[in-house]
Amino acid sequence: MASKSRDTETQINKEPISIGRIIMYIVLLLGAVVMIFPFYWMITGAFKTWTEVNLMPPTLFPENPFNIENFVYAFKTAPFAKYFLNSVLALLGCIVTCSFTTILAAFAFSRLRFPGREFIFSLLLSLMMVPYEMIIITNYRTIVTWKLHNTIWALILPFMSSIFYTYILKGFFDSVPDSLYQAAKVDGCSDWKYLWRVMVPMAKSSLATIILLNSIATWNSFLWPMIATNSKDVRTLPFGLYAFMTEGGQRNERMMAAATIVVLPMIIVFLFARKYIISGMSRGGIKG
Amino acid sequence: MKIRLENIVKRFRDNTAVDHFSAVIESGELVTLLGPSGCGKSTMLNMLSGILYPTEGKIYFDDDDVTFVSSEKRGIGLVFQNYALYPHMTVLENICFPLEIQKVPKAERIERAKKMAELVHVDTMLNRKPGQLSGGQQQRVAIARALVKQPRLLLLDEPLSNLDARLRIEMREEIRRIQLETGVTTIFVTHDQEEAMSISDHIILMKLGVLQQFDKPQYLYDQPANCFVADFLGNPPINKVEAKVENGKVILADGQDSGVRLEGHDGEKVWLSFRSESVLYKPESELRAKVILTSVMGKEKITSFDLAGKEVRGYFDSSLDFERGEEVGIGFKKTGVFVFNFESGERYL
Ligand SMILES: Nc1ncnc2c1ncn2[C@@H]1O[C@H](COP(=O)(O)OP(=O)(O)OP(=O)(O)O)[C@@H](O)[C@H]1O
Ligand SMILES: [Mg+2]
Repeated sequence: MASKSRDTETQINKEPISIGRIIMYIVLLLGAVVMIFPFYWMITGAFKTWTEVNLMPPTLFPENPFNIENFVYAFKTAPFAKYFLNSVLALLGCIVTCSFTTILAAFAFSRLRFPGREFIFSLLLSLMMVPYEMIIITNYRTIVTWKLHNTIWALILPFMSSIFYTYILKGFFDSVPDSLYQAAKVDGCSDWKYLWRVMVPMAKSSLATIILLNSIATWNSFLWPMIATNSKDVRTLPFGLYAFMTEGGQRNERMMAAATIVVLPMIIVFLFARKYIISGMSRGGIKG
Repeated sequence: MKIRLENIVKRFRDNTAVDHFSAVIESGELVTLLGPSGCGKSTMLNMLSGILYPTEGKIYFDDDDVTFVSSEKRGIGLVFQNYALYPHMTVLENICFPLEIQKVPKAERIERAKKMAELVHVDTMLNRKPGQLSGGQQQRVAIARALVKQPRLLLLDEPLSNLDARLRIEMREEIRRIQLETGVTTIFVTHDQEEAMSISDHIILMKLGVLQQFDKPQYLYDQPANCFVADFLGNPPINKVEAKVENGKVILADGQDSGVRLEGHDGEKVWLSFRSESVLYKPESELRAKVILTSVMGKEKITSFDLAGKEVRGYFDSSLDFERGEEVGIGFKKTGVFVFNFESGERYL
């Protein structure tokens, strides 16, 4: 009996082609194609000529894959290099400051004892329900009052802290056993040192997730940069792309090239860091 | 370092975890805190390490009052029940960490950590992470980390509870060896009486936050201060039968005279407790017990009897042969026989 059931089990394990599996792979494959195709279309489109783009039926692969004319055009007519630099500056500014404040706040809310801690934290959480559009208005007024309007600072300042990321990181910090903290204390370690020497290295993957989510959000942010800046000198890529499209006429292949410039860095970052995103998502206490 | 505890009380809201606890622990000794689960051992240890502060009372290290000194400044080593190693650091980094905090130069730090690793036999796995070690190895790393800063006091909270029986014995001998080698005053928490008996200079036995007895291990066994101490120590557990004192005689529940004499407590209800090795075979004795079961253990034989409705056990020479159900005469030796107050457990004899 026992050996028989074991036989059937190994058979199942060995058999690579069961119907269920095939269906599952087909569905996954379809999903992947649906997800990837727009990107593929954009990137290949950027290498096509105007006539090729308008061909019917369309070509799946550009005739001359080394045709970088569209990129040259994009960089020439609009200051994409400048936009790119602005985007990078805003991104670095946001990530560095936001990560720093997030770490400190998460540690305080998770580990330090002070009166009103739970109350303050729930108050902050409830602030997450205020609609973004409303925050934008008050933020705009603040920025104008401080005369930071139309500077890179305007792009960084409102995003120097985040309740949502603090919440995620606090979730991880809460899961670290008390005894580690007590052990560090007994070893003579200060709170500050404990945070940087023990908590932060342990939260590596949660932090990586936060930084990635933050990067993507900052890189793609559109509404705020559009409101807070109006000169080309401080524009970032998404708004630059939008301006390029409205100013540049209906030339699809050029828009594709511009869009590729905007999206590619994030795709590359994502490819390198996807391991962290997934493990951070599943471990960092974010659900749903 | 000598430790003096004066009237320590620790309350959590209305729950008293430690109640008027006073003791003096001599320098260089290994003292075990022993007691059933929830009796306040960890709470006591946490007050010694400064993780908790007492509600009342004073703690002195030598002559310094450290009652409210924070953990960082106490200079103690602490081994947690769950080891609490830093999971992202290697074994070497873990052991170095307390020295790093003390700003010991790196070369010296590593040298001292390596020496300590050798002492606890983990020197071959310095570059592994705690997750790649067995429980026993992790525990040794935790001990090394606690010892490397040359603490004045070493505290161990049930460090062996996660290990298998064999490793436990090995590790407790190792802890004792290290303790003797370094001469550090050590307080060891356990709820395993055998562990406590085998490694301690002195044992503190606690119950519900109250110190019951503080003595040498053998003395605790031979001269228990009260019924709880007698019940807690010994394997097999001490035999215990209900009895009454009449005219200075201890009379069992079924009316038999136990042969034990006690002055001054006439009319009181008591426990008659006796160790299994204190039971004698006396064919002519008037005290009769019915044999339930005998099992041979090498040279000795352990026999259980029905004595006045209670099952009791005694050790006998294996040459003696008892039938099941047979009534035999028994008596008691002079040692290992105690009489306690039935309610309070106070010792009368
Ligand atoms: N932080 C706390 N808040 C409230 N009650 C507590 C707290 N810590 C411990 N207690 C209570 O104090 C008593 C003693 O607890 P303690 O942890 O010292 O027991 P223990 O002797 O170490 O037990 P064990 O052998 O199970 O570890 C228990 O009744 C426990 O419920
Ligand atoms: Mg405990």
